[in-house]
Amino acid sequence: MRIIVPIRQILDPRGFTVSRRHERIFVNREEYIINPNDKNALEVALRIKDTGGAEVIAVAVGKPRVDDALREAMALGADAAYLLTDEALAQTDAAGAAKALAKAIEKIGDFDLIITGQETLDTGDAQLGPWLAEYFGIAQVTNVREATVSDGALRAKRDWGTGYAEVEAAPPVLLTVAPGANKPRYPHGGRIMAAYREWEVTTWGAEALGLDAADLEPLTEGRGRTFPPERTLGERLTGSPQDVAADLVQQLRLQHVIK
Amino acid sequence: MDFTFPKEYELFRRMVREFAENEVRPLAKKIDAEHRVPFETIKKAAKLGLMGVPFPRKYGGSGAGETGYCILMEELGKVCTSTATVIGAHTGIGAMAIYLDGTEEQKEKYLKPLASGEKIAAFALTEAQAGSDAAAIKTRAVRDGDYYVLNGSKCFITNGDIADIITVMAVTDPSLGARGGVTAFIVEKEFPGFSIGTLENKMGIRGSSTAELIFEDCPVPKENVLGQFGAGFITFMKTLDIGRASLGAACLGGAQAAMEAAMKWAKARTQFGVPLAQKQSVHFAIADMATEIEALRSLVYRTAWLIDTGQPHIKEAAMCKLYGSEVASRCINRALQIFGGMGYSREFWMERAFRDARIAEIFEGTNEIQRIVIASNLFRELGLRIAP
Amino acid sequence: MDLDYLQMLMGEEEVVVEEEGEGYRNIWVVAERVGDELAPVTLEMLNQAQQLASTLGAYVMAVLVGGDETLAQELIYHGADKVFLFDDPALKDYALEPYIKALGDLFAEKMPEIVLCGATDVGGELAPRLARRLDAVALTNCTGLTLDASQRTLVCTMPVYDGEYSEVVAFSPEVHPQIVTVQPGVFGLPYRDEYRSAEVETVAVDLDGAQPRVKVLNVVAEAEREPVPLPKARIIVSAGRGMGDAEGFALVEQLAAALSGEVAGSRGAVDEGWIDEEKQVGMGGATVRPDLYIACGISGAIQHYFGIQDAKFVVAINRDENAPIFKVADVGIVADAKEVIPAIIEALEA
Repeated sequence: MRIIVPIRQILDPRGFTVSRRHERIFVNREEYIINPNDKNALEVALRIKDTGGAEVIAVAVGKPRVDDALREAMALGADAAYLLTDEALAQTDAAGAAKALAKAIEKIGDFDLIITGQETLDTGDAQLGPWLAEYFGIAQVTNVREATVSDGALRAKRDWGTGYAEVEAAPPVLLTVAPGANKPRYPHGGRIMAAYREWEVTTWGAEALGLDAADLEPLTEGRGRTFPPERTLGERLTGSPQDVAADLVQQLRLQHVIK
Repeated sequence: MDFTFPKEYELFRRMVREFAENEVRPLAKKIDAEHRVPFETIKKAAKLGLMGVPFPRKYGGSGAGETGYCILMEELGKVCTSTATVIGAHTGIGAMAIYLDGTEEQKEKYLKPLASGEKIAAFALTEAQAGSDAAAIKTRAVRDGDYYVLNGSKCFITNGDIADIITVMAVTDPSLGARGGVTAFIVEKEFPGFSIGTLENKMGIRGSSTAELIFEDCPVPKENVLGQFGAGFITFMKTLDIGRASLGAACLGGAQAAMEAAMKWAKARTQFGVPLAQKQSVHFAIADMATEIEALRSLVYRTAWLIDTGQPHIKEAAMCKLYGSEVASRCINRALQIFGGMGYSREFWMERAFRDARIAEIFEGTNEIQRIVIASNLFRELGLRIAP
Repeated sequence: MDLDYLQMLMGEEEVVVEEEGEGYRNIWVVAERVGDELAPVTLEMLNQAQQLASTLGAYVMAVLVGGDETLAQELIYHGADKVFLFDDPALKDYALEPYIKALGDLFAEKMPEIVLCGATDVGGELAPRLARRLDAVALTNCTGLTLDASQRTLVCTMPVYDGEYSEVVAFSPEVHPQIVTVQPGVFGLPYRDEYRSAEVETVAVDLDGAQPRVKVLNVVAEAEREPVPLPKARIIVSAGRGMGDAEGFALVEQLAAALSGEVAGSRGAVDEGWIDEEKQVGMGGATVRPDLYIACGISGAIQHYFGIQDAKFVVAINRDENAPIFKVADVGIVADAKEVIPAIIEALEA
C-alpha cells in the first residue's frame, strides 16, 4: 500500500501578532510549521501504516525552506519525501501548486491513497484534495476523521451534516482529513536526528515535472488583506434574555468566532 | 564561529516543548501535591526517545548528544522540575555512567533498555558520611568467587526506589582510597540483599523520589564491574561532570519560565492605575533576569558543544551547575516578588518553582564543591600547583 | 420612482432570459438541498448573485440537481432568473460522481462567467472538482465577494488563521468560470417574492460512467466529540461561583455542548465541587487562548484573568455590573446567567 500525503508549510501563527488597530501583521519570530490540518492527514496515513503496513510518502511545493516540513514529516514516520521547488514553483499559487503536486504524484506512481488536509490555515484554500481527485479521476472522501484499510478496501468515518457517515471505497481513493480530526503524534527524537543527518529529501524542479512557465502562471492575484474591527472591550448588551442572546449570537457570527 | 542551532535541534526543541506543555505541565501541580513520580509521563517520554536523548541510536537513544539533552532539560525545566529530575537522574547520571565506561556487553544488556526507557536508572554515590567528600564512602565490595559482595548504604538517591538498574560506587580496597580503591558496579534491583530504606520527605522536587538504598551481602556478578576495577572514582567524576551541564540547562528553563510568567503578570496586573509592566522597577528586574539568563544560555550550550566535540569541559560544566542554580534561584525569587502575594500562594506554580529551585544549589555536588572544581581547574590551567 | 420597484409592487414580474451572446456569461448558483428544503446558503447566494448581476449586467441562473418543481420555484422567488432542474430520480440523493457529471456537462455547454457554491460538505467537494474539470480554479470559504468591474473579475475575501484576518484575492481575467464557495451565514437572506416568475428548464444527463464510487454504509446524525485539552480548545464556556448551584452549572455544560466547546471553571467552581481541578482556568490551573471564552458567573479577579489574557473574544455574563470581568470582556451581559444561557442555546439552534 502506497500512501501519498501532500503537505504545506505555513508561517507559525504563534510567531506573529495581528494588530487590528494598525491593520498589520507583526512577525515576532519567523518560524514555519506544517499546516496543522495536513499534520492530521499525515497522522491518518501513519495510523494506516501502523496497523497494516504502508509506504507513506510526503510531497510539498514551495521555497527551499519547505525542506524542513518534509524532514518533520519523515521524523513523524513518512518513509520518503519529495520537495518540488525552483524559482517558478516557489512563486506559483494554489492552482500551480496543485498541478505540480499532480505531476509529482504521477511521477512517483502506483499510489493507493492520497491523503491531505481539508484546508490550509494560511490561505483558507480548500480545493487541493478534490482537485487532485478530479485530475486522477478517482474516488474521493472529504472531511475524514478516521480511516482504515482492510482486505484492500478503504473504510472511513467522515463528518456529514451534524453527524458523521461511514463509507467504503476501493483504492485508489483520495481523502481529505477534517481539521482537528486527530491528535497528531510527536516525532521520535531519534527520527528527528536521522531526518536531518541520514535521510534525503528528493528535489524536483518544474522541468523534471514536465511543467513550463505557462502551467505555473498564477490564476489569482492577491489584493491585500482585511482585518476584523478592533476589539472594543466593555461593550454591554441589554434587553430581555432573548434580545441579548440574539444580539450575542449575531455578534459571534459576524466576528467569525462561531459558524 | 557559528552560534546557531542546527535544524535538527530546532525541530527537536519544538517537539520537546510541545511535549512539555501538553503532557508534563498538566501534571506538575498534581505530582507535587501528591508527592508521586509521574510514571505516565515517563512512559510517554520513552516512546519518543526522551529517556535516552544523548545516547547513540544503536543503543536505542535519540542520538542527539549533550546538546539535545540540554534542550530536553531546558524545556522540562520550564514546566516541571520534578519531571526534569526524574529523567535527569536516569539519563544524565544513571545511564550515562554505563554509556561512558560500560563494555559493549554491558551497553547491550543495560544501556539499551535504559535508553529506550523500558527500565529506569539511578546513580548511587552519596552516603551518610560521604556527600561532597565522595572519597569517604564506606560501602564495601568484597570479592567472592565470580561475585563481589556489597555491604553498606546510600542515601539521597534520586530514583533510588523506582530504578531497575543502579550504578553504585563501593570501596574495593580501603588502603588505596579514592585513587584505585573505589570501583563502580551495575546493580539490578532484583539482586538479593538489595533493598530500599527510607524515602525522603523533601521541600521541593516532590514529584521525584529520593531514597535510601541498603546493600546487605548483595552479590554482584564480576562482569558488572563498570569501567576499570579500582577506577570508579574516575567513572563517577566523568559522569557527574557531564550531568552538571544538563542540570544547568534545567535551571535555564526554570529561570526563563519564571521571567516570562512575571512579564505576563506585569502586563495583567494594575496598581496605582497603570499596569506593573509600565513600572521602571519591573523593567530593571526583567532586564537583569534576561541578561543573566542569556549568559547562562551561552554557557550551557557552549559547554554542551565542548562535550559533543570531545573537548575538555570539567570547569565549564561546573560553572553551568553553579551559575545555573544561582540564576534560577535568583530569577524565580525576583519573579515571585513581582507576583507579590500571588507568588506566595500555593494556587500558582511560582511557589513550587521557588521550592524546586533550591535543590539545584545542593545536589549533584554542592555549589561549594563546584567552586572548588572551577578554581582548581583554573590553577591547573595557569600551571600553579596547590595542595589538595 | 424606480420602475422595477413599482412593477414589483403592482404585481407579477416576468423574467425572460435572453440566451444570446458569446463566451462566458451569467452568474450561476449551485443550489443545495437539506432534506426537502433548500439550504439557507443557497438563498443567501441568490441574494449576493443578484447584486453582482446588476453590476455586470448578467442573469442569475440557478442549477438544482435532484430537486423538484416546487424547490425550483423557491429559487425563482428568491432571485433566480432561470432554473435548470435535473429531475432524474437517480439524482435524488447526493452522490459526488453523478452530480459532478451533471454540473460539469451543463457548465461545459453553458459557459458560466461565475459559479457560486456553498462552502458546505457538498459544495466544498463539488467546487474544486468542477474547477479542475473546467480548467479553472476555485476560491474557497469566501466571506465577501465584490467585483472588479473593469476586469469583470470577482474579488474574494477569504478568512485565514481561523479568522485572525482575511486575504483578499482576485481571479485573473483569463480564468473562466470563476468558481467560489461561499460561507453560510455571511450574506443576508433575500426577500421572498412569490410574484416573481421565471422559466424552469428541465435538463437530463447521461449518467453512464458516473456511478458513485463511494459506498455509504451508515449515517449517524449525532456527532461524537472528544474533549480537547483546555490550552488547545477553540471555544471554552467557563463557570464561576455565580452559577449558584449544580443546576446552574449544568446550564454551562449545555451551552458548551451547543457550541461544541469545552467546559471549564474558575477556582470557585472547583471549590464548589462542580468541576475537577484539571478544568480550572487561571493562575491555579490552565492558561488558555481560545477564540471564544464565555465567562458565566465569574467575577474575573486577576487570578482568573491571568489565565485568559490571550483569549481572542471574551463574553462575560454576570449579575454584578461592577464585576471586574466586564472590563476585560469584549461583550458583557449584566444579567442572571441562568436566564440568559437557555436563551443563547435557543438562539444558536435557531
